[in-house]
Amino acid sequence: MKLDAKEPAGPLEQKWDRYLKDLKLVSPNNKRKHHVIVVGTGLAGASAAATLAELGYHISAFCIQDSARRAHSIAAQGGINAAKNYPGDGDSVWRLFYDTIKGGDYRSRESNVYRLAQNSNNIIDQCVAQGVPFAREYGGYLANRSFGGAQVSRTFYARGQTGQQLLLGAYSALSRQVSAGNIDMYARREMLDLVVVDGKARGIITRNLVTGELERYAADAVLLCTGGYGNVYFLSTNAKNSNVTAAWRCYKRGAFFANGCFTQIHPTCIPVHGDYQSKLTLMSESLRNDGRVWVPKNPEDSRPPQQIPEEDRDYYLERKYPSFGNLVPRDVASRNAKYVTDEGRGVGATGLSVYLDFRDSIKRLGRDVISQRYGNLFEMYERITDDNPYQVPMRIYPAVHYTMGGTWVDYNLMTTVPGLFCLGEANFSDHGANRLGASALMQGLSDGYFVIPYTMGQYIAGESFQAVDTEHDAFKEAENASRERLSKLLSINGNKTVLQFHKELGQFMWDYVGMSRNSEGLKKAISGISALKESFWNDVRVPGSNDTLNKSLEFAGRVADFLELGEVMARDALEREESCGGHFREEYQTPEGEALRNDDDFAYVAAWEHQESGPAVLHKEKLAFENVKLTQRSYK
Amino acid sequence: MSTQVREKQPLWRQLFTSQIGKKLLTGLTGLGLTLFVIVHMAGNLSYFAGNEAYNAYAHKLLSLGPLLYIAELGLLAFFVFHIVLGVNIYLGKRKAREQGYKRYKTAGGQSKQSLSSRSMIVTGVILGVFLVLHLVSFKFGAYYEAAESIDGKPVRDLARLLNEKFQSPLYAFGYSGVMVLLALHLRHGIWSAFQSLGATNPRLTPLIYTLGALVGLLIAVGFFILPLWIFFTGGNA
Amino acid sequence: MTIYLNVWRQEGPDKPGRFETYTVPDVSPDMSFLEMFDVLNEQLTLEGKEPVEFDHDCREGICGSCNMVINGQAHGPNARTATCQLHMRSFKDGDTLFVEPWRASAFPVIKDLVVDRDAFDRIMEAGGYVSVNTGNAPDANSIPIDKVAADSAMDYAACIGCGACVAACPNASASLFVGAKLAHLSLLPQGQPERNRRVVNMVHQMKEEGFGDCSNHAECEAVCPKGISIAGIAAMRRDYVKAMLAAD
Ligand SMILES: Cc1cc2nc3c(=O)[nH]c(=O)nc-3n(C[C@H](O)[C@H](O)[C@H](O)COP(=O)(O)OP(=O)(O)OC[C@H]3O[C@@H](n4cnc5c(N)ncnc54)[C@H](O)[C@@H]3O)c2cc1C
Ligand code: HEM
Ligand code: HEM
Ligand code: SF4
Ligand code: F3S
Ligand code: FES
Repeated sequence: MKLDAKEPAGPLEQKWDRYLKDLKLVSPNNKRKHHVIVVGTGLAGASAAATLAELGYHISAFCIQDSARRAHSIAAQGGINAAKNYPGDGDSVWRLFYDTIKGGDYRSRESNVYRLAQNSNNIIDQCVAQGVPFAREYGGYLANRSFGGAQVSRTFYARGQTGQQLLLGAYSALSRQVSAGNIDMYARREMLDLVVVDGKARGIITRNLVTGELERYAADAVLLCTGGYGNVYFLSTNAKNSNVTAAWRCYKRGAFFANGCFTQIHPTCIPVHGDYQSKLTLMSESLRNDGRVWVPKNPEDSRPPQQIPEEDRDYYLERKYPSFGNLVPRDVASRNAKYVTDEGRGVGATGLSVYLDFRDSIKRLGRDVISQRYGNLFEMYERITDDNPYQVPMRIYPAVHYTMGGTWVDYNLMTTVPGLFCLGEANFSDHGANRLGASALMQGLSDGYFVIPYTMGQYIAGESFQAVDTEHDAFKEAENASRERLSKLLSINGNKTVLQFHKELGQFMWDYVGMSRNSEGLKKAISGISALKESFWNDVRVPGSNDTLNKSLEFAGRVADFLELGEVMARDALEREESCGGHFREEYQTPEGEALRNDDDFAYVAAWEHQESGPAVLHKEKLAFENVKLTQRSYK
Repeated sequence: MSTQVREKQPLWRQLFTSQIGKKLLTGLTGLGLTLFVIVHMAGNLSYFAGNEAYNAYAHKLLSLGPLLYIAELGLLAFFVFHIVLGVNIYLGKRKAREQGYKRYKTAGGQSKQSLSSRSMIVTGVILGVFLVLHLVSFKFGAYYEAAESIDGKPVRDLARLLNEKFQSPLYAFGYSGVMVLLALHLRHGIWSAFQSLGATNPRLTPLIYTLGALVGLLIAVGFFILPLWIFFTGGNA
Repeated sequence: MTIYLNVWRQEGPDKPGRFETYTVPDVSPDMSFLEMFDVLNEQLTLEGKEPVEFDHDCREGICGSCNMVINGQAHGPNARTATCQLHMRSFKDGDTLFVEPWRASAFPVIKDLVVDRDAFDRIMEAGGYVSVNTGNAPDANSIPIDKVAADSAMDYAACIGCGACVAACPNASASLFVGAKLAHLSLLPQGQPERNRRVVNMVHQMKEEGFGDCSNHAECEAVCPKGISIAGIAAMRRDYVKAMLAAD
């Protein structure tokens, strides 16, 4: 099967506009007849569900949490990018596009990214109209700040709770459509399978997480908006319920899975403090605007940080990257933290952290300004670590944060299964090998508010739909498969808990498919994970039953999928014999130790196709760069 | 597809059955009653100017005639609404948490939860019972005629009634006890009424809270010095 | 340190519940409260018992999932701290803790510590939004908004919908949650057109859900992990009266 990205023809700047002009429309009367399933109510899902319902489609929306408002998007802190150029510092759609392509180390589609940059401005307008309380200047106009990887101020924010406010905006739009009767909202539901009829996505199987019942839902299209799968590493900044299950079941039904090796490790997280640790907490990247990253020059230096004089400190980011300094992109910042700790210069009890110091900016700007900018982050830090960052530098360390990889989609956001679309972090598009700060929120909302209403409409208009109801054999087959899997999990009754398996998987992933990889480690990971998977299906113990709320059972199913995903991620990383963005292969680096791309051989999207038996098969979507010149990323 | 417009309820229903309307009324009636007790207390204090002064004051009120009836009717309405809504709120709250906590503890800090706030229903109901007994004892109590007369009309010797009643420790201490409950009721009640009317803001609230508690205390003190004074000193000759 | 727990266990909505006692040894002061429960659940699973169900997701105090009443206090003893952000250093070795779910008739228990908070969603559906369709919004800077108003709108918008206000309120009233949402939108120009309808609809829905009336205990403000002020409740009342008296 040849992957067709279905990019519209024409010059980059006009692709999307032309697409919209030539769009096939669905008449309002017909829209009402079309039923669409939206799985996930994060920024991508909630915005898509609300917008499609406004247009007249009948929507069923699903989420795992008890309320749509609790989707993981709620946790995003820092901000959302847009090319508004309100500060007048020379920003433009082109520049946002360019920064995003370059930030992604030239492993994303030009056409998608350009459309994203174009939509960015509409997003801000839309959110403000919904009542999102973005930060403002005294004059009453919107405030901006700058984020890693950009030299303009284009990030809009709502204190340290931007994701929360954007999601509440989308959730309120969704609530409005629920009350208008256009959306049926199903919370506490987990999608366990995709139902494919005649080669098209026509429904899903869910488990009611309260009663354990398996439920069937039929529709004319299915939108997968299920977020990222960073939890495959066990420890990550993702919420505990973030998972790959829905996407993985779609993969098994024919949706290709792309670029699994591109995982973003965020440089500023609160370090691990013990093996009971259940998740990692991000400290917003915006802190790098005023905080300076350093470690002692001497590995033996055990003085408290305040007593280490200037000349004994190594501000390694400022030293190595004079023009970007502390604001280098995430992958660069993370990798450098790893280097200094590998050299033994890490700080804290475990030696696995570096300082992020606000001393100088407090001196320069005053405590009040700093507390206005970061007060709630400082509070959060102190609550977790018991240290006061106004007095002692913060300690930070990289942590798994975002997964650029995901379900492969074309320009229409449609997967390789017709009628199955994928939006937001769950898809692979737009961020290439590395995502810039404040651009995931932008992508989720662009997909949901401004892309899918058109591209899905185009699909609906172009197809004829046979009536399919939930008594169709495909539904029965899928439901039975899910039921068997659940009973299998409950019946093993081995001697290890789901959490123990998850931690072991995480260790493999972090050690060998983490901040830097090499062929030997990746092979170790592949065989290790495969053995772990064996053992899981023989030794796991899942308590409780299937007919009530049973989180152990939910997590067991997710870890089972992570075990398969981990293997594919490692294979993807092994196959990509170059370094780019979040994927750093030790074999491929410049003499200065920077990532070394191989554009001739690897400027493609790697999309994996599931096989009923035997290993997954790789398909390549060649990336053409007609508008930007591929350069070695340099933040010197 | 705009906001779903629900059936608009008539004003009186919103006022009497909505969660905001109900509080508006408890607040208004509560403040009205507070005003009444302040005036009543001031009237009572005229006792210290002598029996004649006190009787004269009571007489003046009585001679208002129909005006007094209207005022009394209004007062009655205030009491009735206040009590009915207060009890309704209490019953509603019981239904809103059928299963209680094994442990419950206030978070302190900005919380204004206190013995007074939690016992509004208790202090209120006792005040209600007191009120009935109180009216029976005084308003509808023994009628003595005073020696003096005003404008040729006979004057009721309420001072004598007071002097008599508060010789009894049951009355003197019973009344004082009820006044403590009144203080408790008002300590939360006064600030709460302002909050119910939406007449607060974060800057005003601490002030209103403190003043409210102070006024509550003053009212209670103003009331109970009279029975105690009479009990311990035998009262005005 | 060692912690003794009395945890509310209830198999289902209509089943009777009871307290079970557990001992969790080797608790580290750096553990979060939920991490201690993870340890307990691992222990129970390995002993062949059913783990304690509790809601959680972000574990960083923003999703509003977690909901435990710890020794009688919603989200435990620390101010402005959700259960997931509470650390064991706030307790002492040998402490005995009672852990219960949110208790309110409008939040029925689903299992153990998990409760059903759909009532909040239904209140939001009754009017917690600005009716604007996707697509035709004017330029974001076309309406300047006073920074002070925007900041205070943000103060209210910060509500995480956890329901601690209801749990701690002696009346099980949802006034703080509803007041917060209303105040957020009332403070912004975008919220003006539907202001009257919104307050009436949301307030009436709150009642239909079976929450108690507000008697101004202000306990809600004290336990709210986001420190939402009861000034929002006062504002809700002003708006309601205005709406009640409005002609349309
Ligand atoms: C701590 C943190 C901070 C961040 N800060 C920023 C930032 O400042 N700027 C930025 O641009 N990005 C940020 N990001 C990234 C960004 O928040 C996410 O990429 C984005 O919110 C993902 O949105 P989404 O809609 O794709 O998915 P999510 O918000 O993850 O939503 C997934 C939805 O799918 C549902 N779901 C999942 N699986 C199933 C299933 N099997 N069945 C049914 N439902 C399912 C879930 O219930 C949920 O509703 C941050 C991420 C983290 C972790
Ligand atoms: C006579 C019997 C009384 C009863 C049964 C009663 C009962 C109550 C109750 C239950 C409340 C609390 C309402 C709530 O929880 O929201 C209340 C509030 C109040 N009461 Fe009374 N009360 C009585 C008498 C009085 C009197 C005599 C006064 C004044 C002197 C008074 C002043 C107030 C005030 C100011 C409030 C606060 C109103 C509010 O919160 O809006 N009450 N009362
Ligand atoms: C020491 C305390 C008090 C004393 C000595 C006192 C005394 C009196 C007297 C003598 C009367 C009769 C007046 C008349 O008939 O003209 C009276 C009436 C009344 N009192 Fe009190 N009182 C006291 C406290 C209170 C309190 C606390 C309340 C309210 C909660 C109250 C409510 C009333 C009412 C409603 C009347 C009837 C008024 C009317 O119908 O005109 N009193 N009181
Ligand atoms: S107001 Fe506070 S306590 Fe209530 S739901 Fe919102 S955040 Fe939770
Ligand atoms: S605690 Fe309850 S009584 Fe009102 S002020 Fe808060 S809702
Ligand atoms: S788990 Fe999200 S707020 Fe506690």
